[in-house]
Amino acid sequence: MLGKGVVGGGGGTKAPKPSFVSYVRPEEIHTNEKEVTEKEVTLHLLPGEQLLCEASTVLKYVQEDSCQHGVYGRLVCTDFKIAFLGDDESALDNDETQFKNKVIGENDITLHCVDQIYGVFDEKKKTLFGQLKKYPEKLIIHCKDLRVFHFCLRYTKEEEVKRIVSGIIHHTQAPKLLKRLFLFSYATATQNNTAADPKNHTVMFDTLKDWCWELERTKGNMKYKAVSVNEGYKVCERLPAYFVVPTPLAEEDVQRFQGHGIPIWCWSCHNGSALLKMSALPKEQDDGILQIQKSFLDGIYKTIHRPPYEIVKTEDLSGNFLSLQEIQTAYSKFKQLFLIDNSTEFWDTDIKWFSLLESSSWLDIIRRCLKKAIEITECMEAQNMNILLLEENASDLCCLISSLVQVMMDPHCRTRIGFQSLVQKEWVMGGHCFLDRCNHLRQSDKEEVPVFQLFLDCVWQLVHQHPPAFEFTETYLTVLSDSLYIPIFSTFFFNSPHQKDTNVHQRQLSLPLTQSKSSPKRGFFREETDHLIKNLLGKRISKLINSSDELQDNFREFYDSWHSKPTDYHGLLLPHIEGPEIRVWAQRYLRWIPEAQILGGGTVATMSKLLEMMEEVQSLQEKIDERHHSQEDPQAEPPCLLRNSARLSSLFPFALLQRHSSKPILPTSGWKALGDEEDLAKREDEFVDLGDV
Amino acid sequence: RIHVEQVKLLDRFSTSNKSLTGTLYLTATHLLFIDSHQKETWILHHHIASVEKLALTTSGCPLVIQCKNFRIVHFIVPRERDCHDIYNSLLQLSKQAKYEDLYAFSYNPKQNDSERLQGWQVIDLAEEYKRMGVPNSHWQLSDANREYKICETYPRELYVPQIASKPIIVGSSKFRSKGRFPVLSYYHQDKEAAICRCSQPLSGFSARCLEDEHLLQAISKANPVNRYMYVMDTRPKLNAMANRAAGKGYENEDNYSNIRFQFVGIENIHVMRSSLQKLLEVSGTKGLSVNDFYSGLESSGWLRHIKAVMDAAIFLAKAIMVENASVLVHCSDGWDRTSQVCSLGSLLLDSYYRTIKGFMLVLSGGVRCGHLDGDPKEVSPVFTQFLECVWHLTEQFPQAFEFNEEFLLQIHEHIHSCQFGNFLGNCQKEREELKLKEKTYSLWPFLLEDQKKYINPLYSFKSQRFTVLEPNTVSFNFKFWRNMYHQFDRTLHPRQSVFNIIMNMNEQNKQLQKDIQDLESKIKQRKNKQTDGVLTKELLHSVCPESPTLKTSLRFKEQTLLPVNDALRTIEGSSPADNRYSEYAEEFSKPEPAVVSLEYGVARMTC
Repeated sequence: MLGKGVVGGGGGTKAPKPSFVSYVRPEEIHTNEKEVTEKEVTLHLLPGEQLLCEASTVLKYVQEDSCQHGVYGRLVCTDFKIAFLGDDESALDNDETQFKNKVIGENDITLHCVDQIYGVFDEKKKTLFGQLKKYPEKLIIHCKDLRVFHFCLRYTKEEEVKRIVSGIIHHTQAPKLLKRLFLFSYATATQNNTAADPKNHTVMFDTLKDWCWELERTKGNMKYKAVSVNEGYKVCERLPAYFVVPTPLAEEDVQRFQGHGIPIWCWSCHNGSALLKMSALPKEQDDGILQIQKSFLDGIYKTIHRPPYEIVKTEDLSGNFLSLQEIQTAYSKFKQLFLIDNSTEFWDTDIKWFSLLESSSWLDIIRRCLKKAIEITECMEAQNMNILLLEENASDLCCLISSLVQVMMDPHCRTRIGFQSLVQKEWVMGGHCFLDRCNHLRQSDKEEVPVFQLFLDCVWQLVHQHPPAFEFTETYLTVLSDSLYIPIFSTFFFNSPHQKDTNVHQRQLSLPLTQSKSSPKRGFFREETDHLIKNLLGKRISKLINSSDELQDNFREFYDSWHSKPTDYHGLLLPHIEGPEIRVWAQRYLRWIPEAQILGGGTVATMSKLLEMMEEVQSLQEKIDERHHSQEDPQAEPPCLLRNSARLSSLFPFALLQRHSSKPILPTSGWKALGDEEDLAKREDEFVDLGDV
Repeated sequence: RIHVEQVKLLDRFSTSNKSLTGTLYLTATHLLFIDSHQKETWILHHHIASVEKLALTTSGCPLVIQCKNFRIVHFIVPRERDCHDIYNSLLQLSKQAKYEDLYAFSYNPKQNDSERLQGWQVIDLAEEYKRMGVPNSHWQLSDANREYKICETYPRELYVPQIASKPIIVGSSKFRSKGRFPVLSYYHQDKEAAICRCSQPLSGFSARCLEDEHLLQAISKANPVNRYMYVMDTRPKLNAMANRAAGKGYENEDNYSNIRFQFVGIENIHVMRSSLQKLLEVSGTKGLSVNDFYSGLESSGWLRHIKAVMDAAIFLAKAIMVENASVLVHCSDGWDRTSQVCSLGSLLLDSYYRTIKGFMLVLSGGVRCGHLDGDPKEVSPVFTQFLECVWHLTEQFPQAFEFNEEFLLQIHEHIHSCQFGNFLGNCQKEREELKLKEKTYSLWPFLLEDQKKYINPLYSFKSQRFTVLEPNTVSFNFKFWRNMYHQFDRTLHPRQSVFNIIMNMNEQNKQLQKDIQDLESKIKQRKNKQTDGVLTKELLHSVCPESPTLKTSLRFKEQTLLPVNDALRTIEGSSPADNRYSEYAEEFSKPEPAVVSLEYGVARMTC
């Protein structure tokens, strides 16, 4: 970055690593003589929120420069968040405060948002967990929204250090009971206000009516019916109380294997083909039971293979597609790129940015998901097939792929309400285990897989490539991803609708802590499909399953031909999936890194110009209307949102403006010439001599 | 003259080897392919960088043509004999031995001499110095090089510090490689600081030159605010040191009072060329995956080189804006890297250069192209690189430039087309000898004529002249320039951009404004005739029937405006400055829905 360090005679001049230990600590130099201010900032508590512990004279580092500045203040921990109350809450200008998060302040970290906590002992960084013997002089908190906080505890009283550090570790790292989630105390405290916002038309899919409405909207009601067989979760706790199945399907079939092996309707396309999902039957060793399962499935497939149903193609998502393990590994590598402790580290990694990005495979995973969704879209749209998604519990990749397909095919899902309804339908009612996947209760790190985050990232790629096709912007998606860790909204804090209903309605009954999920062994599903489907379903299906090459070609043609036609934003929407087109969601991942922002530039500049022009059109139109109805009062000026866009950051509304000291300086240029280029590097620049002409 | 039928044109990125069948024609200036849908693909011989004949296949003889504008075409000619003929002819035609054979000398857009001359006067470099505010009390016009006696490759008119006498200039030029002594490149009126350029000093390990030291001192004295100046060697330190063995090298800080010396580390043209070649290999891969793309991108090093040039320009701009210091820039001979950095630096500093005309000035100031560099495969990447730097700036600051990407692409096209005289010859002397102004046409008037399609709809005029751009050079902010390197690969093209939508809205705005004016004048006219209030009301009523038409003009869907559509006329003749998009005409002429209508409540643009 510009403006760091001093002008040096040599080439690269990044912020130098400390080569000797100074007796004067940098923070002692830069903190304005420990100017502890009188104006205490008051802690803002939500209804039902309780203060647990606190420490004063904590120094929070501000990483603006290579030299570290700090702000003194109070570090507190409540049953909802960790908050730092600095003395330096300088007033921000209007544009910025206008877009502030109303629940979470700049220095607030909800307990669920904490990812890792490190302590610094004698310049060494260690992960903190459990009981501590020694307390660190510095606390580093990595958040799930990728913020990094550094708190220096050197000037804090020892007692307070002990209390705050062990408090924070306990409340963020130790396993928790579901009933201890803050949302319950919040709900109790705000009971009067819990009436649903009447303006909010998000369909919740918790009534039979909602499903019927969705069937009607997608014209799926000819061949599919909403059933209430699981009312009161009599059949199965994994499924929602109401869902949709093929009309001829008998209700006893649903009960037979507690909802397993049942094709459940997700969505119908305008041409009648439908997207279905199915969770696998439990794995059995016993031949007799296997035989029963076989004949059961046979019956099911017979039902959906007959007209009026289209040809079914089965997509096995737990077999040869993506594994949750892969997603987990990729994301944990990927996020390290953004969890930067200081700017030296940033510049060190910046040189290798593209290869680091690549080695995380996160972008490739996004590409594979988008590709899979396009393949399915092609089958439904062009070949008029039904697609049956298969997965162990039908609650991870099923949710992801089916909702991605709907975003691409159904313009309704690209409105804000439509998108929210989709999340409600496929993820919340689809039984995605948010509690486990986000590890909200800190019960098992293994189960923590950012499937929903992956979905949002896929949608972001679409939003980024086709902004006019969406009612919402990337900021909406970013805020949505943040709300995953704010335990005020119950949406993302349960494993299933059953769990939510039992906890929200009968809170007084303390539930036995459900470690619930019996997780069968991996790989089971692949074997089963290979075995069962090929044998049971005859040629019709196996032909389709084995013809992946042929499909590849169909896919290409479909993809190319869509992209060669003008886009109809009200219709089918496909993303570009060539390598260069899959991008990093900067607003989500890079927003806290000041080095990465462009002042007065980026897409924000485009957007604000666009807004300006829309206002202009609007006001001109109003002027014309005025002419026609001169008796009406002239309209007031429309409010303008981003007037002084010139100085907005490219990561607006998240990154705060950072002023850099601005001596000219070259940024890091630490790379070496590539080996085979050395010859070239040594060669003289050529010069066309005039004599030659 | 030659024509071959039943030739197949393969789609470069199609994994299933899709192809079009048609007829291949060879004219004196172009290679033309007309497919069965009568779609035409024109390739100018000058654009051809390499022609390759591949091993014979069952379907025929493959011929791969790589162009300097990054078009790659893959033909399959049924008979080997024909293929061989085409191959030989192309080799002959694309290797022009003499300047006089270049297209520019035969190109005739049907203009008379005075029109042509006027065209050359659109851009006036002498006028530009006046705009910058020189000559003034610190800087003067020197006549030392009026007859090209001191330096053949410099222009006749040069600006030097007021206090630099002719002997000092002559002395300094003897100490500089190719005689290219320090001269003014850009003058910042507000800060009274200057950007100067020169070539490397012939310092070897210990040589010094008092006149050169005096000239540098004169430059720093010409800046009344700041007495020290930066000397920026744009080469990597190692290269500069290696040059010392050949009696060249860099300034010794001890010999020059008040200079601050700085290496920048931009690699030389050979490294750049090989890097670009690698980039093209990566981006030309079929079925490119995310992973291969990013690692390929990184190992090509291309974006890193772009970043290095950008960093140097930022350094330059900050030295002037923040420290008020003048800067002297050089590399080896003061051609490529120096031109890039000075031009880019002034683009950051002075918003005038971000306008269409201003940018033409920057380009006329000259980055050299070298059309007769010997090996035709060796496309000079310097200009491409400069344009890419500018493109990155336009991406980072969408509001700061009057022109759009299309403009940059069009210029790139003509740097290699040799259709216009602008980019021929390496220096003023050579251009005069070639009589370019008498024998060829200037590109600029043709671009200005078509200005409408090069306008950036987001351009904000409000910005002050000296609004400085501060680009960010974190790797994340550097992207692959798809529309440059894949501009001819239709399948990879975005069909519509937000920009078209904005252009559309702008157009509607203008329409609405005009409507308002019309209505107002009508009202005025009527009012003058009859002041009766009742009648006025009637009048309003009579205007009302117009409103449905107004409304429809607001229905975005029906309007198809389009910079793109305009861009689609045919080849020479109607729009001489544009010969890239002819084959798109058919698809683009379909109206595209410009902005989504608001029915359904869907897809409204929000922020």
